[in-house]
Amino acid sequence: MATDENAFGELIQDYIIECLPLAEQVGDAFIELERRWREGDAGDDLLVSLKGRLHTVKGNSAMMGLPPMQTVAHALEDVCAFLDAEPAMRGEEAGALLVRGSGLLIDLIRTAAEGADPKPAGRFVRRVRTFLARGRKIKAPSKRPQLLLERRRGERRSSEAEARPTEGSSGVVRVDFRRLDAMLEVLGEGMIEQAAVAELYRGLARKTRATDELVDLDRAIIALQKTMKRLEGILMETRLIPISSVFGRFPRLVRDLAQAKQKRVHVVTSGGDIPLDKAILDRIAEPLVHLLTNAVIHGIEGPQERARAGKPAEGRLDLRVSTESGRVIIRLTDDGRGLDDSRILAKAQSLGFDLPSMDPDQLRSLIFLPGFTTADRVSSLAGRGVGLDVVANTVHELGGTIEVESRPGQGVTFTLSLPLTLAILRSLIVEVDRERYAVPISHVAATVRTEPNTIQEMNEKGVALWRGDLIQVSDGGTLLGTGAGPNASRRFYVVISMGSRRRGILVDRLIGHQDIVVKSLDPMVGRPEVVSGTTILGDGKVACILDAVRILEQRMSA
Amino acid sequence: VSARPEPLSFPTEAPSPGPELHLVTFALDREEFAIPIGQVREVIRVAEITRVPQARAHVRGVTNLRGRILAVIEIRSRMGLLPAEITPKSRVVVVGVGDRTLGILVDAVSQVVKVPATTVSPAPEEVLSPGAGYITGVARWNSRLIMLLDLEKMLLLPE
Repeated sequence: MATDENAFGELIQDYIIECLPLAEQVGDAFIELERRWREGDAGDDLLVSLKGRLHTVKGNSAMMGLPPMQTVAHALEDVCAFLDAEPAMRGEEAGALLVRGSGLLIDLIRTAAEGADPKPAGRFVRRVRTFLARGRKIKAPSKRPQLLLERRRGERRSSEAEARPTEGSSGVVRVDFRRLDAMLEVLGEGMIEQAAVAELYRGLARKTRATDELVDLDRAIIALQKTMKRLEGILMETRLIPISSVFGRFPRLVRDLAQAKQKRVHVVTSGGDIPLDKAILDRIAEPLVHLLTNAVIHGIEGPQERARAGKPAEGRLDLRVSTESGRVIIRLTDDGRGLDDSRILAKAQSLGFDLPSMDPDQLRSLIFLPGFTTADRVSSLAGRGVGLDVVANTVHELGGTIEVESRPGQGVTFTLSLPLTLAILRSLIVEVDRERYAVPISHVAATVRTEPNTIQEMNEKGVALWRGDLIQVSDGGTLLGTGAGPNASRRFYVVISMGSRRRGILVDRLIGHQDIVVKSLDPMVGRPEVVSGTTILGDGKVACILDAVRILEQRMSA
Repeated sequence: VSARPEPLSFPTEAPSPGPELHLVTFALDREEFAIPIGQVREVIRVAEITRVPQARAHVRGVTNLRGRILAVIEIRSRMGLLPAEITPKSRVVVVGVGDRTLGILVDAVSQVVKVPATTVSPAPEEVLSPGAGYITGVARWNSRLIMLLDLEKMLLLPE
């Protein structure tokens, strides 16, 4: 009994995995069609491209015994076929009907495992019938839709073949993601052990004269390191999925939100084929939804306001993904009214910030702080108790950064920079007062040897001239609370950076670069601001990972 | 029924008078403390403990327990004593508290004992400094004085 249920559960999961993306693609295409029809474009190509997908969804739903999905897909097919034959019926009403139907289909498939409620499907089918009947009444009765309905049986084989061209022979297998997580964990252990072996070798090499065996051992270790590195690369690639898999639902979300607010918003995405570690993707979806929601509700103006500002009635949201030096950059730009600087200023004043010392960008980045919301009333759509602080927090937890740029009257751009992968972090290992720390390479701009008088005092803060700019240089021991005095003379400073922010940290030694396996910090230990996690070094000892982002954000006097 | 032979028993062990507490005892400043054996996963020698900057009070640091990161709690300072000096006798008792695994740093681990429940009495007022509600009782047993600790009360402080 239990095994039967499990088998069915697995089948349902397979069904969802196969059909949900298809339904989402269909939904996106309908949203695009709705837009094109509004602009007078016939959109023939799109209409034709949808048939195979709808047909596959219908067929799979029938096979799984899911009548609501089957009938909705069928009804959508009918509407498409009808519109294909009757271009005059394309327009706002048809578009809305299709978008609504595909939304229903997506919801039904998403909740397929829970047993679908057939009522909304019935209501939708009745709407479709009314629409088709009215269409036939207006135009002279056309034979083609009828024909299509009859022809469907014969057509089935060909479109089935089109929908799954290579199944069975493609060499693709489906793997539970938890297995990939487990593999990564084992790989991490292997890397620590390999570092331990290398460490032992170095100890041995110092004590003994070079022998042939020692040279061979050295070679073997280097070969092992290369192999592990390759294995890591392959595993990381396996974990990557295109970012479009979370973008899939955005056009619909934005359309529905905009409609509820009597606005019109068009989403343009690019770079959706760029891959990201699934573990990051899973967590970044919600923050992105939050930013999109904010943009539609607070950013983009209503049509009248836009007309007054000389903007097109339809607002535009650009979601662009690109890669820059090993990181994924997601830029979300709206063409709305921009952030309300005066309100941010008032709020910052009431919270007692030192305003004169802040430039406009610093001021605007206050919106990421907890409890810093400038919206007057809680909107049922935007305000789900989640603020930008939660967005910023998630991004930071992923080792990423978020920045905001606002052009008053022209719009806002949020820029998220994320690591491609979470688990393995290339780091610079440094030593401060005999403690070792890992600094993620992604935030290391430079390492500098200190000379006498490199560090000057200014406003009780250490500063240094670095590449023509004065940057603050803090003592590592003070920052990390090692107890050593602030006057300890240290031989190096590491310049950490994020966007335009930079800061030097004085350290005693630079130990080297290493790929470290990130281990999270037990909350029992606390929530340090300067440490984001821990790792195990080659000698088996634990080192803390410096949280460069938070250190850069701090305004400490150290 | 009376004709049946007596069940075998070890003559050296006094006949057990009733329920027993199965405890792991350890030393802090020559006083003896104990926790239920069910909470103890293992006892390890002290490897290097890495200090974590800005950690909460009473956290000694983190250590590598076969590839896992183990938080080590300084229970001496939690009990108002000076922080431990690591000696060859020092041990980390790995315990399960709630759904967490933690290490507690102790001066020395003495042994595993079975103590009759009847030897346990409530902790006398004078050993209970304010905030010491984690001492649940005192066992007087074989001329030893063993203080029983409630780890949950002691370690799971409000964040």
